[in-house]
Amino acid sequence: MDVVTLASQLNAGTIIPEGIVTLTLLVVLVGDLIAGRKSASWLPYVAIVGLLGAIAALFVQWNGTSDTIAFLGAFNGDALSIVFRGIVVLSTIITVLVSISYVRQSGTSLSEFLSILLAATIGGMFLCGASELVTVFIALETLSIASYLMTGYTKGDVRSNEAALKYLLIGAASSAVFLYGASLLYGLAGGETQLDRIGIALSQIETPAIAPVVALVFVICGIAFKLSAAPFHQWTPDVYEGSPTPVVAFLSVGSKAAGFAFAVRMLVTAFGSLTEQWHFIFAALAVLSMILGNAVALAQTSMKRLLAYSSIAQAGFVLIGLIAGTESGYASVIFYLFAYLFMNLGGFACVILFSLRTGTDRISDYAGLYQKDPLLTLTLSICLLSLGGIPPFVGFFGKIYLFWAGWQAELYGLVLLGLITSVISIYYYIRVVKMMVVKEPHEMSETVKNYPEVSWNLPGMRPLQVGIVLALVATSLVGILANPPIDLAKASVQRSPILQASISPAKEVAVSRFAPVQSSEFRVQN
Amino acid sequence: MDLAHGVQLVSFGILAAIAIVAALGVVLLQNIVYSAFLLGGVFASMAGMYLLLNGDFVAAAQLIIYVGAVNVLILFGIMLVNKQQDFPAIKGMWIRKGATALVGAGLLVLLAGTIVTTPWAISTATPTGDGSTLKIGEHFFSDFLLPFELASVLLLIAMVGAIVLARREFVPEDTPTTEEELAFKLPERPRETAAIAGGSQTSPE
Repeated sequence: MDVVTLASQLNAGTIIPEGIVTLTLLVVLVGDLIAGRKSASWLPYVAIVGLLGAIAALFVQWNGTSDTIAFLGAFNGDALSIVFRGIVVLSTIITVLVSISYVRQSGTSLSEFLSILLAATIGGMFLCGASELVTVFIALETLSIASYLMTGYTKGDVRSNEAALKYLLIGAASSAVFLYGASLLYGLAGGETQLDRIGIALSQIETPAIAPVVALVFVICGIAFKLSAAPFHQWTPDVYEGSPTPVVAFLSVGSKAAGFAFAVRMLVTAFGSLTEQWHFIFAALAVLSMILGNAVALAQTSMKRLLAYSSIAQAGFVLIGLIAGTESGYASVIFYLFAYLFMNLGGFACVILFSLRTGTDRISDYAGLYQKDPLLTLTLSICLLSLGGIPPFVGFFGKIYLFWAGWQAELYGLVLLGLITSVISIYYYIRVVKMMVVKEPHEMSETVKNYPEVSWNLPGMRPLQVGIVLALVATSLVGILANPPIDLAKASVQRSPILQASISPAKEVAVSRFAPVQSSEFRVQN
Repeated sequence: MDLAHGVQLVSFGILAAIAIVAALGVVLLQNIVYSAFLLGGVFASMAGMYLLLNGDFVAAAQLIIYVGAVNVLILFGIMLVNKQQDFPAIKGMWIRKGATALVGAGLLVLLAGTIVTTPWAISTATPTGDGSTLKIGEHFFSDFLLPFELASVLLLIAMVGAIVLARREFVPEDTPTTEEELAFKLPERPRETAAIAGGSQTSPE
């Protein structure tokens, strides 16, 4: 093959955002090598500038190109991937903001933390658009290995070591199972690795064969591990409790968003002919996650474990939109993840700030906090109420949209279960809020009595304040001004050929066989 | 059946037998050093399978990477730790072992059934034979260019992470001196050491 024609076919402009992040990663690594320890004062800002550059590049792509297939089919930079990549990058930006003072205080070096975080971001971004099995796997592993490393980043901390080891072992097992499923797909498709061609090959299998279903189950093992949906959630509480809190913030939002993007692309494109089966499996996962996550969260005494179980439950809610399989279903998944980004990261930012000032994350230690730190109390209350789905905040509109989409798709049982479990979830979220706000001065916990003077001038605290205020503003205002993000989510679904192909013929079984063929036609038109 | 087919069949039988016996040994033997050496046997017989499939490059890569690097690394790990510890016998261990065997056997039956009943789409492309290395190179620089390049980020960050994990941690130079900085405690650290000292698994699942 000629080099010039090859270069023109690659369409490498699609991965400019990832390129910018990679460049930032190298600048952070080399900058630390050259400038030494002093560089910790400016490196986070370099990372943030680079990530903002990636956002800008994604914005240009959103308005720009129509040719989204890059690297001969290995990467699909369609509107869906742009939105998800944006969510991943935004979560990394907020994580960087809230991690600066934490990493300083834990006595570990900042530049390596930032570079591993950026590598996880790169992996997550590629996972959002990867449309070929090898790329999917490498992107998945980049995200996973960077996550394992970040989980064990505070080496002196035994719980962090334990969390990293557990995460590594369970993650490696789920990767292996996913890989086995991928190898079955490769065999079923006769040596094709691109997802759309695998979809065509699977739809052409005449007799009801067991192999596609086995492959589907194995692939879902890999996906559900990233989503931390029950029963693939066992790692979540221990990892959330043990690892450094900023890492947990990234894992709960960025890694999960990438997992959802991967789930949508993999299942819609490759398993288009098995839609009923994967809807069934995901419905089971959603039911288990909602019940287990919300029920076990009631008994937690540690704030980080509470948020861990809450994140399992939230994954269950989001799965409803995915199972709906309609345009508003996918749009509600995107909108909810966007809302979840701000409210969950806001919650974690507050947990980080509280643990920095007091060294604890027990829920009972939050008692009476409002008298000492109103901003922290306000933000944490609003983020938790929003996670619970209390009206004026963004979480309420996200949940309404999800449940409405589910109801439209006639998923009555799932939606009712979602409503009941979110009422349960309000109880444990409000318990924390009550602990902070309602307690009388004499009921104040010892920790809060010794609460240090609030001061934002210390090194690394200003970015944390920016992160907290950003999450506060977004959580309270996006709820009222929900239209732009909802329009964005809808537009991204409408402009993504793979989703359009799966939505229109989904009702008739006879037609669904041709869905993948149609998707390739769409590609040609675009 | 001509001679070539016969040789192929016999070699496949031998390699498969080695792989199965060695893999069972890895799982069942108590001594971890034996397990590690047998793992090398599994990897080597896999390389033999690749050779039978005309994948000479993959076979060489398998030998160099898995037998030469991964397995040797495992052995080094065992030698460096070198910890002899007799674990107390767990009550009812046979139930766990039985359940594991049952699940494993069930999975084997399921997968074997899958493989036998599936109409596999056999690729019609002519085998490349000796030119496989060339072919792999072409793929790396055309349709697998993106994963190939992405792997460099993965390897870079794995290296950085390995160094972070392996290096000796510096004591921070700027020890807190001002009143305000002393107010900051190391996040969540003092509590864990206390928790570990007094039996750590108290938090509810």
